[in-house]
Amino acid sequence: MRTSPFRVGLIGLSGAVPGILVAVVLFLAIYSWPAIRFNGLSFLVGKTWNLGNLYASPVTVGGFQVPHGAEYGILVFIVGTLATSAIALMIAVPVSLGVAIFLAEGVPERFRPGLSLIVELLAVVPSVVYGLWGVTVLAPLIAHVVAPAFNDVLGFIPFFAGGSATGFGLLTASLVLTLMVVPIITATIYSALRQVADSDKEAAYALGALKFEMATRAMLPAVRGSIVGAVILGLGRALGETMAVLMVSGGAINYLPTTLMSPISTMAAFIVSQLDSAEQDPTGMAVRSLAEIALVLFVITVIVNAAARLITRGLHVGLASRG
Amino acid sequence: MQIEAGKPLRRRTILLGSFGAGAAGVLGPGSRRAFAAGISLLETGSTLLYPLFNLWVPKYTASNPGVRITTQGTGSGTGIAQTLSGVAQIGASDAYMSDPQVKQHPDILNIPLAISAQTVNYNVPGFNGTNLKLSGPVLAGIYSGRITHWNDPAIGKLNPGARLAAHVITPVHRTDGSGDTFIFTQYLAASTPEWAGSVGYGTTISWPPVAGGIGAIGNPGMVQASGQTPYAIAYIGVSFHNEIAKAGLGTAMLQNRDGNFVLPTPKTVGAAAAAVQDKTPPDQRISLIFAPGPDSYPIINYEYAIVNRRQPNETIAAAVRNFLAWAIDPEGGSAAGFLDAVQFLPLPPKIAALSKRQIAKIGA
Repeated sequence: MRTSPFRVGLIGLSGAVPGILVAVVLFLAIYSWPAIRFNGLSFLVGKTWNLGNLYASPVTVGGFQVPHGAEYGILVFIVGTLATSAIALMIAVPVSLGVAIFLAEGVPERFRPGLSLIVELLAVVPSVVYGLWGVTVLAPLIAHVVAPAFNDVLGFIPFFAGGSATGFGLLTASLVLTLMVVPIITATIYSALRQVADSDKEAAYALGALKFEMATRAMLPAVRGSIVGAVILGLGRALGETMAVLMVSGGAINYLPTTLMSPISTMAAFIVSQLDSAEQDPTGMAVRSLAEIALVLFVITVIVNAAARLITRGLHVGLASRG
Repeated sequence: MQIEAGKPLRRRTILLGSFGAGAAGVLGPGSRRAFAAGISLLETGSTLLYPLFNLWVPKYTASNPGVRITTQGTGSGTGIAQTLSGVAQIGASDAYMSDPQVKQHPDILNIPLAISAQTVNYNVPGFNGTNLKLSGPVLAGIYSGRITHWNDPAIGKLNPGARLAAHVITPVHRTDGSGDTFIFTQYLAASTPEWAGSVGYGTTISWPPVAGGIGAIGNPGMVQASGQTPYAIAYIGVSFHNEIAKAGLGTAMLQNRDGNFVLPTPKTVGAAAAAVQDKTPPDQRISLIFAPGPDSYPIINYEYAIVNRRQPNETIAAAVRNFLAWAIDPEGGSAAGFLDAVQFLPLPPKIAALSKRQIAKIGA
């Protein structure tokens, strides 16, 4: 078999993508290895993050040079990351489904391109714009309107009570994330819905289905895989979002959220906010521990992705056995 | 220990290189030097110094057309780190380097360029026009969660006339690494032994959990958060005095070492600087916090240029020397026209002489 330069080039390029991924993971793992050994399991279950006294002489703890008083526990940030993403998806998925179905079936043909363009434009707005809006509009609204209303009406549910003085916290961060993931999920589901064969839709109508029944019984089951894929895309963005969350989360450190209004921190936002000071650590342990956060975030993303893929496969198997 | 310390450092440089590629890739000195006949310098670091550098650079380069200077507000820690890695020629920092850092990098100079101060601001409806009196121990109590309401007796004792209502205090702190956090927590540590023993000081600290307390990004974020949150309290760099006034925040009179309550004015900041200037060592790394004297304002600091004394070549070294010498010259960058805009004070002559001696050490 002849190996043409074109073929070699293609192999090289296609190999580069997984290659880069492996290189990033390897780099993170090797770079954070001293931190992994120093922190042990308390990294994942500890609630205290303390860079230690960077202005005093480093001390030796368990064979490692670290600043005096250094302690790295990221449970608060893991909880913050998962909680904001979960709340964002809980709101975003039903909304996106509704918008996508409306765009695909509920809108006259001539308005469709314009409306779907708006959805796609929302998906490319830089996150700092959403963050700015969250700081100036959403946070005051939450503090002065939403939080008091929740406290008065739903206050008997523990997580809704307490109100909020500032508006910066879990709910605000989740709502900003919701706004950011809705366009992505909507656009993906919408383009899948457009692919549903007309014959399927007509078959449903022929059986006497109303428009709503046709959409929920004929179209949605046909694009189940795409819906899961769209949710994964949205979740990926929510887990990794940095700037917008950093601006509205309230930057909690050393304590877990107790209500929907509590300040929180996410892993990605925390890495950004700490890096500047971590670079002043003469022992380097602080930056390595931040790299370990990145590694944990990566592992969480992989687990979430794998779980979603298993669910999708389960769906396909289920459909096949039923058919 | 040197060998042990050297290894992680090299890896850190690689990491920094990748960050630097993003930050400095477009305007990086290396790429430009190859094309332009002149010299380009990169200044990066403190966001408090950033506005001043932006006033300085156009004026300086207008009369020195052979030099181009790129400025970036990235944070003091990044300023120091990128000077260590050689990405930046001038790192701007509100905080001086620590002893362990200096031991690792003996070639790095900490050169004061000006004197800055910090205000403690609050948003207490009805009291933003008056200057409430606060002390280090009371602020430490607020930021550690021991003092939770504005009508706490500890605050009432300092402000006998004011009738503060029972509202919950929202302490706002910086989430990002910050020279302002450094000098604020130094004030708390210097005035309150319990704070020194438990929390300490740094550009980022492990804030005690305070119910309702929040973090904000940058000085603009501090102004925004405290402006829209009644009963909040925050520490903000003095160069943001215009934004503080626009947000309608009150400015606290702070208790100094002699027990008097003072506002940051040229007189009180100057008094504090005069009180500690004789203690400034030749390498100029010193805290000016909580200076003695009846009029001394307690939270002031030197704003530093972090510079490597071994530059890649003599041309670059000369350019750095020239610019820094101009920056501290009362006829040049330290003229009132520049410093008044950001409410900094020029270095006292004695300190300027020390800075000049350090600038002269910069070579190839």
